[in-house]
Amino acid sequence: MLDELRQRLQALQKNTGIDDGPGVLPLGIAALDATLGGGLARGALHEVAAAGEAHLASATGFALGLAASAWHLLWIAEDMALAESGAPYGPGLDAFKLKPERLITAAVAHRRDLLWAMEEALHCRALGAVIGELRHGAIDPVAVRRLSLAATASGALALLLRAQPADDASTAATRWIVGAAPSGDDTAFGPGAPRFAAQLIRNRRGPLGSWILEWRDTDERFILATHPQPVAAPLLDRPRRKVA
Amino acid sequence: MRKVAAPLVVYGKRGNADVLTAVDEAAARLGLHTGMALAQTRAMHPAIEALPEDAAADAALLDSIADWCLRYTPLVACDAPDGLLLDIGGCAHLYGGEQPLVADLGRRVARAGFAYRVAIAGTIGAAHAAARFGEPAAYAAGEEREIMSPLPLAALRLEPSTVASLARVGLKRIGDIIDLPRSPLTARFGAHLMRQFDRALGHEHEPLCPRLPVAPYVAEQRFHEPIAREEDVLGTVEKLAARLGVALERRGDGARRIELTLFRTDGAVRRIAAGTSRPLRDAADIRALFTERLAAMADAFDPGFGFDMARLAVVIAESCPPEQIGIGGEEEAGELVRLVDRLSARLGSQRVRRPIALDSHIPELAAATLPAQTAKADHGWDAFRRHRAEADLAPRPLRLLTRPEPIEALAEVPDGPPLRFRWRRALHDVISAEGPERIEGAWWSEQGGHPSGNLSSGSLARDYFRVEDGTGLRFWLYRAGLYRDLVRGDLPNAAPPSWFLHGTFA
Repeated sequence: MLDELRQRLQALQKNTGIDDGPGVLPLGIAALDATLGGGLARGALHEVAAAGEAHLASATGFALGLAASAWHLLWIAEDMALAESGAPYGPGLDAFKLKPERLITAAVAHRRDLLWAMEEALHCRALGAVIGELRHGAIDPVAVRRLSLAATASGALALLLRAQPADDASTAATRWIVGAAPSGDDTAFGPGAPRFAAQLIRNRRGPLGSWILEWRDTDERFILATHPQPVAAPLLDRPRRKVA
Repeated sequence: MRKVAAPLVVYGKRGNADVLTAVDEAAARLGLHTGMALAQTRAMHPAIEALPEDAAADAALLDSIADWCLRYTPLVACDAPDGLLLDIGGCAHLYGGEQPLVADLGRRVARAGFAYRVAIAGTIGAAHAAARFGEPAAYAAGEEREIMSPLPLAALRLEPSTVASLARVGLKRIGDIIDLPRSPLTARFGAHLMRQFDRALGHEHEPLCPRLPVAPYVAEQRFHEPIAREEDVLGTVEKLAARLGVALERRGDGARRIELTLFRTDGAVRRIAAGTSRPLRDAADIRALFTERLAAMADAFDPGFGFDMARLAVVIAESCPPEQIGIGGEEEAGELVRLVDRLSARLGSQRVRRPIALDSHIPELAAATLPAQTAKADHGWDAFRRHRAEADLAPRPLRLLTRPEPIEALAEVPDGPPLRFRWRRALHDVISAEGPERIEGAWWSEQGGHPSGNLSSGSLARDYFRVEDGTGLRFWLYRAGLYRDLVRGDLPNAAPPSWFLHGTFA
């Protein structure tokens, strides 16, 4: 009896988020793909946190860029998040290759509804990606684990979008902190293509790193941004770790 | 708790006086009757207990009893203020005839503590009259003349003034007018009298207007032993849905809205409705819908001592060609639809939405969302893309604030982009800016087409700027109003232009 349970536990553990089953999603940047082991793992949970609340739109754009290959996409957000940070705006979504007609949004009143809806959505094979937007606070690790399992089973991309970096325990395959980065030097005629300071702070399959990425809407993918002069790694808010 | 002994009367204001509107049995034995003045009653019997009437509560109670009567027939109408009309044509045999049905109804109503009078007749008018003025019994259709003849004319549901003027000429019973020539009666007392007369006697058909729309498909199940567990309820739903599915399939229909009615043993009735985004026939799908609805209800789903009857009705059916249901190629679309239904059932159909594009230049009007269950295939985005390509529209933000937020901005030149602005207490230095993109409301609309409630900026032209600050954050700002207008003084009470932040870019 106990042995059987142990075996089942092992089988479950093997599966969470690091299984190669559903394949990977190459981002098209050699350095990044190498770090991620070929690309962003499909059928896994990824966390994208904004470097600060003001950077939420950048984190949103980054998450949408990751989910760009999804045909149908479900975006679940708490009422509060939509009221505070604004709702996804159809005419602006096109810039990230996301056709608004492929998007379904769901507003939820409680966090447990959000986690329920994400899990439910991950059971649906028609969705390519599910984005859940959280505002503040910790999230139940058991629920995150359930999401990871559901993502593994379905092969869809599960993205947890957070307004602030968090350091709670998580079974996410990767964890990113994303902030805005200044656009290139040619800004005489207005802001250039959007740039992201993306920091990989957790990677279950390889090393960490940080990059400045630029979204090329003509190619509909990220490219590595080149800076006119070498710069140090971007300054980002790090989650303050409590010292025991 | 009220002591049993004191006679009880209920009074309400009629005209300028408090008069009795209802008396209980003990009070009736004292010789009190409805219509007496309360003051007179109090003078006669000081010990009497008098309560003010509550018409709203009475109506609500009648409504809930009407709900409960749905267990006998779907055709239930309220006969305000104190009666209910049930069309039991075609239903009585389920109880083994009219008498057993009346007996069952009477037993349950009496157990709930109500006094009742039941009459069955061939017309609404005759049943109404027999229950209130005659001998409550079951009469066959065609006996209306015999039932009605001895009853007073008030039994025809006439205005009291008509009854009074009929009495003045010596006409008191319905029998008095049955054989009279019709035209003088009509000439003197109006067409309404003869109409009510014809309806009661079955010369003219009177339709029953049910309180609830009658569902085209209904299946029900009675239980000898009440059920209370959620699984049992869901199992029943599935069983009933399977029965409905057969009927739906025969006529090529699918369900768009389904209602589950649960009759609790104590008389309370639960009505739970669930909508679907495409015609549905599959019993497992219908069960899944109600699983979410029940989960969302949580404690509000209170089974008490259990339900003794369940009814599943398709309230809205829509024809659906057979290929729409369960075909391999459409499987993915079907999955998505099922997910939307599940989410809508649990979260509420208003919360699960799809974006649509609208024909407007005003940013907050250019895009809207519709409940995903009702949104149709044409979302207008193709038209929007064409328009954007033709008009070469500037980029739009990724997230749009529900309401533009006022900011403090400092601009170098009066109508130029801001140099620096403060939003949510943080200061942003503008490094680069693109704009202005002037968006004005339609000239024919008084508000300038702007829906925003704040009149100060509502009717003004907006100049939109896309700006980037030192850290790379990008915002969509606008200035409502022009400095030019302020200087020229065209608008007498023009306020100085104000700045707003409307959205954020990635």
